[in-house]
Amino acid sequence: MALKIEKTFEVQEPIDKVWDVLSDPRKVATCVPGAQITEQVDEKTYKGAIKVKVGPSVTDYTGEVQIVRLDAQNHEIEILGKGQDVRGRGSASMKMTGRLRALPNGGTEVISVSEIGVVGILAQMGSRVITEVSNIMFGEFTKNFLARLHEPSDQPVEQAAGAEVTPIKATSVAWQATKGLFRKKPENVS
Amino acid sequence: MIHKTSPEIGGMGHSIKRKEDLRFIQGKGNYVDDVNLPGMVYGQLVRSPYAHARLKSVNTEKAKKLPGVLAVITGEDLAKANLAWMPTLSYDKQMVLATGKVLFQSQEVAFVVAEDRYTAADAAELVEVEYEELPVLVDPHKALDPDAPLLREDREQKNNHIFHWEVGDRQATEQVFQKAAVKASVHAFFPRCHPAPLETCGCVADFSRATGRLTVYMTSQAPHAHRTVFALVGGIPENNIRVISPDIGGGFGNKVPIYPGYVCAIVASLTLGVPVKWIETRSENLQSTGFARDYHMTAEIAADREGKMQALRVKTLADHGAFNAAAQPTKFPAGLFSICTGSYDYPTAFCEVDGVYTNKAPGGIAYLCSFRVTEAAYLIERAVDVLALDLKMDPAELRRKNFIPASKFPYKSSLGWTYDSGNYEAAMKVALDKIGYQQLRKEQEEKRKKGELMGIGISSFTEIVGAGPAHSFDILGIKMFDSCEIRIHPTGKAMARMGTKSQGQGHETTYAQIVAQELGIPAADVTIEEGDTDTAPYGLGTYASRSTPTSGAATAIAARKIRDKAKKIAAYLLECNEADLEWEPGKFYVKGTPSKSKTIQEIAFAAYTNIPPGLEAGLEAVDYYDPPNLTFPFGTYVCVVDIDKGTGEVKVRRFVAVDDCGNIINPMIVEGQIHGGLTEGLAIAFMQQIDYDESGNIQGGSFMDYLLPTAVETPHWETDKTCTPSPHHPFGAKGVGESPNVGSPAAFVNAVVDALSHLGVKHIDMPITPWKVWKVLQEKGVAA
Repeated sequence: MALKIEKTFEVQEPIDKVWDVLSDPRKVATCVPGAQITEQVDEKTYKGAIKVKVGPSVTDYTGEVQIVRLDAQNHEIEILGKGQDVRGRGSASMKMTGRLRALPNGGTEVISVSEIGVVGILAQMGSRVITEVSNIMFGEFTKNFLARLHEPSDQPVEQAAGAEVTPIKATSVAWQATKGLFRKKPENVS
Repeated sequence: MIHKTSPEIGGMGHSIKRKEDLRFIQGKGNYVDDVNLPGMVYGQLVRSPYAHARLKSVNTEKAKKLPGVLAVITGEDLAKANLAWMPTLSYDKQMVLATGKVLFQSQEVAFVVAEDRYTAADAAELVEVEYEELPVLVDPHKALDPDAPLLREDREQKNNHIFHWEVGDRQATEQVFQKAAVKASVHAFFPRCHPAPLETCGCVADFSRATGRLTVYMTSQAPHAHRTVFALVGGIPENNIRVISPDIGGGFGNKVPIYPGYVCAIVASLTLGVPVKWIETRSENLQSTGFARDYHMTAEIAADREGKMQALRVKTLADHGAFNAAAQPTKFPAGLFSICTGSYDYPTAFCEVDGVYTNKAPGGIAYLCSFRVTEAAYLIERAVDVLALDLKMDPAELRRKNFIPASKFPYKSSLGWTYDSGNYEAAMKVALDKIGYQQLRKEQEEKRKKGELMGIGISSFTEIVGAGPAHSFDILGIKMFDSCEIRIHPTGKAMARMGTKSQGQGHETTYAQIVAQELGIPAADVTIEEGDTDTAPYGLGTYASRSTPTSGAATAIAARKIRDKAKKIAAYLLECNEADLEWEPGKFYVKGTPSKSKTIQEIAFAAYTNIPPGLEAGLEAVDYYDPPNLTFPFGTYVCVVDIDKGTGEVKVRRFVAVDDCGNIINPMIVEGQIHGGLTEGLAIAFMQQIDYDESGNIQGGSFMDYLLPTAVETPHWETDKTCTPSPHHPFGAKGVGESPNVGSPAAFVNAVVDALSHLGVKHIDMPITPWKVWKVLQEKGVAA
């Protein structure tokens, strides 16, 4: 299942400060619910994990995150992440392009385009639910991202390798997603 | 005409209530999951999340350590017993549990056995499988590309092609097309659907180490054939295998194949020496068991300007999934698809089908009713409507002009079938009169002026059922006869057993009515039993509307054998010659002296108490019936729809179904079968599709995405009939179960296209969802 999700939001912070967070996968990972960076392989490659709980079963993806393109001049970053469930229940991939634009009011516009590929149990939940799940995850991400920006920039990345993270619970996510379906028409996903 | 017996006897033509419903409506049916044996344990399958992946390792250690887990079986374990693969019904083979690689999402990878269901399910989660993803082939059109991934590395043939099958005269057809004044064509995709029976598949395998006997309670539409396959594949002596199909909650072909779960449960019971139950979940059923259709079809009709059809050319790509596990007669890899000339008198025709592998669940023919007749009828009825549009002719008129005339039966079609009987124009007239066709056309004209969208769709289908004659029909070599054994007890009550197996069709009632008709024993006094291979005579089972044409015929013939013997006993009792006796349902009497008579009950008593010298005791008979030909039910369906220009929603305003299935056993049951089949057709036309994304993820794997019609969506069905008996069937019946499934999809689609045809719409692929219609309305600039 492939989904393309485009999101844009504004933050009241200068572009360089936002770029400082966005261009560091370790910092970005702390904003993604259920995700962590476990190891830096080289300058552009990291090992990471993300947990998603569906009912009694936890899908536990581990894999690599790679910075494909980093353009500090134009404030653009392209990240490719790929992971497999440790018990072989499926895989997921994400190509995310992030771009920053300085706003006349001194704030910054964050534009992200994510192409998500899911194979396995999660994919069977159908694109309507996956889209809603992604929307909710993105909402969480935005909240965490803003919080992160308000922290002093020299604060170390708090997640140590092997630390336990709380998995995002897709049961509650699915419930919110279901409510979402009734609230508005599902977005068209191709 | 069939002599109508008294209501007390309840022979053919009586709408007697279904005997089986007494227990069903009380919730006292006995389904496989109701079978609970002492010491029984439970199996759970581990399935692949990938559509195509190399299987690198299956680690069962953690699962085995969970308290309550008794065994975890993998493909490697089965390979040691030479059971990792099993034969399919189409001379292909299929993995029981994966070894080497997986070929479709939800494929069976391991089988966990535990003391209870919950532990089994938990343990299945603990089985760790390492996969390496491979390129996925989803689009059948790309299956034969040189760079397509090779799916079946086990085969000698190193491509994804399964079969090419053609019938008819290619050259003659080409020639007609070259000269034809008018050529109409349609590309129609019949999407992958699923039978989705109310009861999913499952079994209880019970091997007794004490007796060496294996009893399998299973959801089987063909228990005898399954017993033979178990014997051949498992090496167990066939006399030591007993297959019992208890009550079956719907089949529609879904319960014809042998699934890996059955085999795993049997292996587990053989290994552990205790009964093992395995029952699918709904999603497992939708994702891994026999699907239906998935035919990409093109039909072209050559005709003259007056609308006389001259030739038909059909080309089809068949998506069979990862294994060719379609259930069809051996000689017919595309089933009976060559019935695609339909109800029309084509001087020449040509039809070709290519089957290919893709990374999807296996299955195919016979599922969701009919050996590919549904596809054929849909295609020709769509194509005829396209020709009518091209010629600007009324679709009813075009059909009438090209019907095989009633005088031409038995009719040899240009693709090789001999249609037994038919009167297509008569059935269409009843349907058009009933719905008020001319009036509706006027209304449509008025509505179009006002910008309202209303359509009328006609489908004049011809079915082909009752497989089949031994000279052409077998499955895995076993000829497609079917059987009946009748025993008359001393008190005149009867017990009859068949090689078929009801899944809700009402056999316990209709077969009893056939016995009642032939012997005059009240249907209420006749018990019907099917599904136990220890007691029932051998037969190929129930699917493709074959029960009445085969076992129904066998029942009549067996009853007539009993009547012949009864006549001898009656002559002895009445002290006269057999030649002096006359029969009326329920008794023999002396010609001219009706008071001198013996009832069938008196005769039955004498068969055990006062046996004529030289005659064997008892009153019973068995018949294995080899039908001389198939039967060809037909009918005309007319559908009226209104389209909401704001939402794209299609409302079925009226639907008239006129069926001709020859002589009818129980009109109420026939009507019920038609209601059910039309509702199935409605769902296929408007709601259902098992789709896959580009990674091979199933997009219709639960009832959240694969929709079933409820009373809310279902319109009121208006039914009627004509009666053209089959000339070769013992009581002139033809079979009816599939007709509405075969005939209705085209009626619905034709109605929708008819509503939009003035805008230039010629075809819309099923399922016709409001979204699809809304897009068309937007494109044509008529959306409200």
